[in-house]
Amino acid sequence: MDYSWDFGPVIARFDMLAIGFLNTIKIAIVSILLGVVVGLVLVLMRLSPRKWLSWPAAIFIEFYRNTPPIVHFFWFFYALPVLLSVSLDPYVAAVLALSTQSGAFYAEVFRGGIVSIERGQWEGARALGMTHAALMRRIIVPQAISRMVPPFIERSFELLKTTALASTLAYADLLYQAMMVNAETFRPLEVYTTIALMYLVLLVTASQLARLAEARLTAYQ
Amino acid sequence: MNYSPDFSVVLDNWPVLARGLWVTIQIWLPSIALGLIGGFLISQARLSSRRWLSIPSLVYVELFRDTPVLIQLIWFFYAFPILIGVQLTPFTAALLGLTLNTTAYSAEIFRGGIKSIHRGQMEGAKAIGMTHAQAMRRVILPQVIKRMLPAFTNRMIEVAKMSSLASVISVHELMYQGRLLSSTYYRPFEILTAVAFIYFVLIYPGTFLAGRLEKRLARSS
Repeated sequence: MDYSWDFGPVIARFDMLAIGFLNTIKIAIVSILLGVVVGLVLVLMRLSPRKWLSWPAAIFIEFYRNTPPIVHFFWFFYALPVLLSVSLDPYVAAVLALSTQSGAFYAEVFRGGIVSIERGQWEGARALGMTHAALMRRIIVPQAISRMVPPFIERSFELLKTTALASTLAYADLLYQAMMVNAETFRPLEVYTTIALMYLVLLVTASQLARLAEARLTAYQ
Repeated sequence: MNYSPDFSVVLDNWPVLARGLWVTIQIWLPSIALGLIGGFLISQARLSSRRWLSIPSLVYVELFRDTPVLIQLIWFFYAFPILIGVQLTPFTAALLGLTLNTTAYSAEIFRGGIKSIHRGQMEGAKAIGMTHAQAMRRVILPQVIKRMLPAFTNRMIEVAKMSSLASVISVHELMYQGRLLSSTYYRPFEILTAVAFIYFVLIYPGTFLAGRLEKRLARSS
């Protein structure tokens, strides 16, 4: 325990960490937005009465939910380019991995919200002569949304943590930048402690913001 | 799409993947078992009326839940040894990181479960002369464990997925072997897809079980 801490070299390269910090936020936001799109497409397929639409969606969702994220990252970065004979840069591969994976989880969040609305409401709306689309838009979705908010936020929080895996593809996120700083300074204890605290600040801030949003979005229940 | 996959490379190398799977299991199961014990102890500290117990345990839980698990593994492998002056093997660092992470999450599961049992039961048990430990063991915990079974099963699934991150600090588990093989044979599509399937087979039974348990519990309550 006689190690003498020295944050000097790390602080001198704080600009590198700041770039990583911003890249982490950027990739998280882009992946959440794309993930919502993927999730919407998947849930529409999953709830469709047509089997050729619902089955592939169900398989996709289950497969993603039951395999580790790092496998998805490597699959998109190394396997997909071989299959398509194109090359993907780390950013694109990481966004693909994050958004398809969160899309699978979001689809389940959306589905859970929709199926939680009592049958009577579906039947009542149909009895009034509403079409499936009108019934969804006017009756089911507005109620389902407030029920989806808490699990949606939880999933997005998980995604924010999972972005650290983008560093394994050499995307310049906070962890990757820390590795670079470490290679220059040979101060792993200080570097990794610093970024752990930076992640902590980011995640605690995000969860506080999410709590505020949640309180507003679920207020009328 | 004119790539012709050749899965014989997977079949030829199955002993390597099987060895990796065995190491995955060696990190996975002990960190679950130790994490549950640790989690119970931390939940007791967290629920304690003594501040010097409840505040540090709160900080511990939040530290581990609000930082990415990959950062935790890297910190334990690269930073922690400097602090204690002893080099850890990748396996020990991974086991330590995952165990402490599981401890934090299962502490929250235990805490939620214990708090969900009505106070009256603890008071009643004490009124008939049980000590706190006896009431915990005979009255509270049997109910908590039943109620928390789906949450614990979900945790097992998460830890199985997290164990794949140990490949980043070069623990020779399944993902590591998959990465090694795919760069040796330059068949990333076949090998990474096979690795994903192996993880799916390992993890899916847990998801299935958790779903069944949740349904049974919902019906019985």
